[in-house]
Amino acid sequence: MEERLTVFVNGKPVTVFRGMTVKHALISLDYALYRDVRDGKAVVKDENGFTVGLGGALHDGARFYLDMAGRTGCR
Amino acid sequence: MLRNGKKLTASLLLLFLVVFPLTFLSAEAAGAPVGITILHVNDTHGRILPEVEKGVNKKRPVGGAAWLAKMVEKEREKNPGGTLLLSAGDMFQGTAVSREFNGKPVLDVMNAMKFDAMAVGNHEFDWGKNVLADLSRAARFPFLSANIRDGDGKRPPWLKPYVILERKRLKIAVIGMTTELTRYIVKPENVKGLSFLEAGDALPPAIKEAKSQGAKTIVVLSHAGLDADKQIAQEIPGIDVIVGGHSHTAVTTPVVAGRTIIVQAGCCGHFLGVLRLKIDPESGRVVEFMKTRVLKKVYSGPNDPFDPNIAGIVKRYHDRIKDRFSVVVGETAVDLVRNYGGESNIGNLIGDAMREAEKADIAFHNSGGIRGNVPAGKITLEQLYAVLPFDDVLVSMDLTGKQILLILEQNAAVERGILQVSGLKVKYDMTRPVGERVVDVEVGGRPLRPGKSYRVVTTDFVAAGGEKFAAFREGKNVRYGDDMRDALVAYLKRHSPVRPEVEGRIVFVK
Repeated sequence: MEERLTVFVNGKPVTVFRGMTVKHALISLDYALYRDVRDGKAVVKDENGFTVGLGGALHDGARFYLDMAGRTGCR
Repeated sequence: MLRNGKKLTASLLLLFLVVFPLTFLSAEAAGAPVGITILHVNDTHGRILPEVEKGVNKKRPVGGAAWLAKMVEKEREKNPGGTLLLSAGDMFQGTAVSREFNGKPVLDVMNAMKFDAMAVGNHEFDWGKNVLADLSRAARFPFLSANIRDGDGKRPPWLKPYVILERKRLKIAVIGMTTELTRYIVKPENVKGLSFLEAGDALPPAIKEAKSQGAKTIVVLSHAGLDADKQIAQEIPGIDVIVGGHSHTAVTTPVVAGRTIIVQAGCCGHFLGVLRLKIDPESGRVVEFMKTRVLKKVYSGPNDPFDPNIAGIVKRYHDRIKDRFSVVVGETAVDLVRNYGGESNIGNLIGDAMREAEKADIAFHNSGGIRGNVPAGKITLEQLYAVLPFDDVLVSMDLTGKQILLILEQNAAVERGILQVSGLKVKYDMTRPVGERVVDVEVGGRPLRPGKSYRVVTTDFVAAGGEKFAAFREGKNVRYGDDMRDALVAYLKRHSPVRPEVEGRIVFVK
């Protein structure tokens, strides 16, 4: 079992340890992105367009996008 | 005889004409699609009080068990006798009140709300198997997972693979599924002796067994995440609905993969999932389902209706948490004072606690994660929550001396929020250029060797590269440990009164 997985945030690859969450992927890429989501200035959406929470589990290869205007989020 | 025969034929014809339509109508009524409503939540993470979640609504509070319960009550009234209430796991870990009472506040709420079943999530193991088994025994609904086995290959006694729920004479099997990655993402001691089978090995036999018990409709209550759920739906036949969790996805329109409908209700109790189905009672197949408005926001402002009984349960625990917070967990002989720009005695204390908890050579903790000071004297739990307000968990890994040197050089380059250390002494010459400032490093009293592997513990925040310490992302043999606060409480209980000093672990030559 690989210790790391790679997800894509706004198209950029981010490699984090397995077991980490959306929050860690954002921190890993750019702390400011995490802060924007934490503070409600943006929400994270998956490739289906669904909002995902900061505590959401990651799946290898998953793609996330920051929606700076969107709502209907969760942690 | 003939006449009598004609009479008999006429009588039979009359009987046929009268009875057959009645039978047909009766059969049609019995065979008409059954309306079933699945109410669901997932990843509530201990949240039983409302909160303002700006991503959901800037001002109006959302979540809160009492408000959720009221919505459930209203939905049940719309389909009496045809409603299920399910949880897809990760219900307990995540708030102080739930942590301090080992999940009991959440369980009491779930019992009172009459949940029908809950899948076991990975975070259900955060406080160890025994706590989870106790919760399961105290629950008035089954804890489900078809893919967890103990050392003998059997299912733990506190766990059921599935439950068959009967609604409107339709037997619905609800089968639990826990992410198979649990063994990698939970503190190893907490899942020792357990194995987590892949869905392809665990679900087909469970589906077969449930069908042999008369189940017509198959619902998988999955704590595996939306992407994994889609894969399960594509690869494993016979699943009608997957009620998911783990990825905290607010599935606003049901996903259909193969012939399986997949839903998930975000997280934190901010949403109630409402899936309305029409099911053919003969085949158990879903013939129709509502495709919109499947997630309802749980608004919990002053004008939103709530369940007073559930509110009473929540209040009782919150009254008790005040007492629990005042419990003394240790004592310090000196003031514990933080310092973002240099070594601090509270940073040393926390680092020592981390290193002891994980039996590591070195601990690193970000100064920005230490949010308060503690005066000399008794230390209460409330003070610890103020000092460490973030829900960080320990992450340990192997790093080479060379990687540690890189981290230390990065440490010398940050203006504020340096890493506090334990097990290590470092001297920086700040007159030298960035990247060449580390002039001396000792680990356990010996010079750091660039080629040697050291066991290093830090927090999940730092391990992800937080505060730009990217070298942690290169670690190997990663292991998740306890919550930071739990590690500190355990250390204080063992070593109080503590007397941490600023002792030259981090020295700047200017």
